[in-house]
Amino acid sequence: MPSKPRIGITLGDVAGVGPEVAVKAVLTPAVTARCVPILIGDLSVVRYYAERLAPTRTLRAINRPAAAKTEASDLQVLDLKNIEFSSVRVGQVDVASGRAALEYIRTGVDLCLAKELDALVTGPIHKEAAQQAGINAPGHTEYLAALCGVSEVRMLLVVGHLRALHISTHLSLREALDCVTQERILKTIRYGVAALQQLRIGKGRIGVAGLNPHAGEGGLFGREEIEEVAPAVAAAQSEGLDVTGPIPPDTIFHRMNRREFDLVVALYHDQGHIPLKLMGFDSGVNVTIGLPMIRTSVDHGTAFDIAGQLTANPESMVNAIELACVMSSDEF
Amino acid sequence: MRPRIGLLLGDPAGIGPELVAKLIALPETHARADVLLIGDRRQYLRGADIASTLDLHPVFIECPSSTEDYAPGNASAAAGDHVLACLRTAISRWQVGRIDAIVFAPLNKQAMKLAGMSHSDELRYFADLLGYRGSTSEINICGKLWTSRVTSHIPLRAVSSALTVEGICEAANLLDRALRTGGVAEPRIAVAALNPHAGEGGLLGTEEIEIIGPAIREARARGMSAHGPLPADTLFIAARRGDFDGVVTMYHDQGQIALKLLGFDRGVTLAGGLPAVITTPAHGTAFDIAGKGTADVRALREAFAVACRMVSR
Repeated sequence: MPSKPRIGITLGDVAGVGPEVAVKAVLTPAVTARCVPILIGDLSVVRYYAERLAPTRTLRAINRPAAAKTEASDLQVLDLKNIEFSSVRVGQVDVASGRAALEYIRTGVDLCLAKELDALVTGPIHKEAAQQAGINAPGHTEYLAALCGVSEVRMLLVVGHLRALHISTHLSLREALDCVTQERILKTIRYGVAALQQLRIGKGRIGVAGLNPHAGEGGLFGREEIEEVAPAVAAAQSEGLDVTGPIPPDTIFHRMNRREFDLVVALYHDQGHIPLKLMGFDSGVNVTIGLPMIRTSVDHGTAFDIAGQLTANPESMVNAIELACVMSSDEF
Repeated sequence: MRPRIGLLLGDPAGIGPELVAKLIALPETHARADVLLIGDRRQYLRGADIASTLDLHPVFIECPSSTEDYAPGNASAAAGDHVLACLRTAISRWQVGRIDAIVFAPLNKQAMKLAGMSHSDELRYFADLLGYRGSTSEINICGKLWTSRVTSHIPLRAVSSALTVEGICEAANLLDRALRTGGVAEPRIAVAALNPHAGEGGLLGTEEIEIIGPAIREARARGMSAHGPLPADTLFIAARRGDFDGVVTMYHDQGQIALKLLGFDRGVTLAGGLPAVITTPAHGTAFDIAGKGTADVRALREAFAVACRMVSR
């Protein structure tokens, strides 16, 4: 039997729901059956939630992933001792929480790159707190890319059998439109092929969305389909890839839902996010493609309005961990 | 008073006649309104034959067609010509107060163009017949969710420059009026943002700050309960939950992507802005299944119900 992967789980911003969903997730039997989950954060934060959610379970602080027990019912925490929960202002933007969150990410990345962890699953950070703490990147994804020394990554959103890979991440719509080039689309298709392999789907079927209403209706409502999308699809097909497009944006997700495609290449943020969030309720997972490590993430924010109330839904976190397990498994 | 609904058979080569026959055969149809069929009785009978429903001898405003036979699944000038004549009759009957609202089974744009319609779509054709010069917009209705859009069939690249405070207000106003006519006393209207995360305070685009935000304030000043700009990727989750009655979208696919996943193929399109209430199913003539009797009547039934509701007060 292959050994269970070691999965690092960052608590995210400790003033939000991140620690709560992380603790709830590692208490889930389906999670512990598949991996050795290691919470990356501060013991005092984990203790607060563990005492309320599972008072009988033992907490175990470790200083290296290698020290984690493989078959243990203990909650294992890589304790960075960087914030005291009694001082955390739950539900509020605080530079201290932001700073702690960034340290969890940096530690997780270092351990993944050093192969001490097999994958990293990240909890939600708060944009403003992270900005105050000096993240110096438009988002979580871009921060990870910078830490890994990678200039280009792609954002994959996964909801059950629905997968949307975006050609650009966090840009205004105007800037995103400038990214709609043959070269970038072709590159994203190749990332899509890699993503499907990493997700153990194998050689999947990829659909590429159009940009304009009705995919431009033959050039009547825009020419990007003719000048950029179609040539990229043709080039990918000539590489032997199973790629179709451009397909009208308002039918392609419906078709993926009917399992005509395993992955859709979306041409801007909301094109992929509107349908997948709508189909996913609270269950979506974000995956970063193009990093030299495996990274998945919850697809929700810090939800400051319900932080600390023990009512947060851990489904997205559980799914993110399960996907990380799939991606780091030896089987293929 | 019972509403009087003018019901059109749609393009005779499509699924329209069989759908109308199915609708006429539903007892609820006659409980809701007095139905006046506008068109050629022979096509209704053919539809009833295809749908295997009885001839219920509906009241007709006769609008005879030049021929009895339209090859199913074929867009033709003859069919388009007949459809345009029916539409003109319907509008003129509405103008003299003979009917309160118009419901039509799917039309075929190509057939109407072949017959010489020079307008971009039937909405402009209606506006022209009615002599209406105000703004119009398709309103898409999917269950309890009503949406209008600020821009429609233009390149995505042209959307940002096409957004104006007045245009957004007008799209909200059309929706607000339609919802009120439809029986929602104080419609809660969500206005979508253009950029991801609603622009994230200007970091990801400034249209929210410069145009959409001011438009929402203006809409509120005009008495509408308008909210936003809201991130488009969570807005429809809130709307589906029932937090809003209507959504104003900035571009075609922003609404259409969501609506199609929410089952809009069974939805309804309302000719927004016009003085007359005119509804139709969101789906088309479905030439591929025309004449088989398998077409689903739910969207037409819903279009009929919406029209009845809008004129019953």
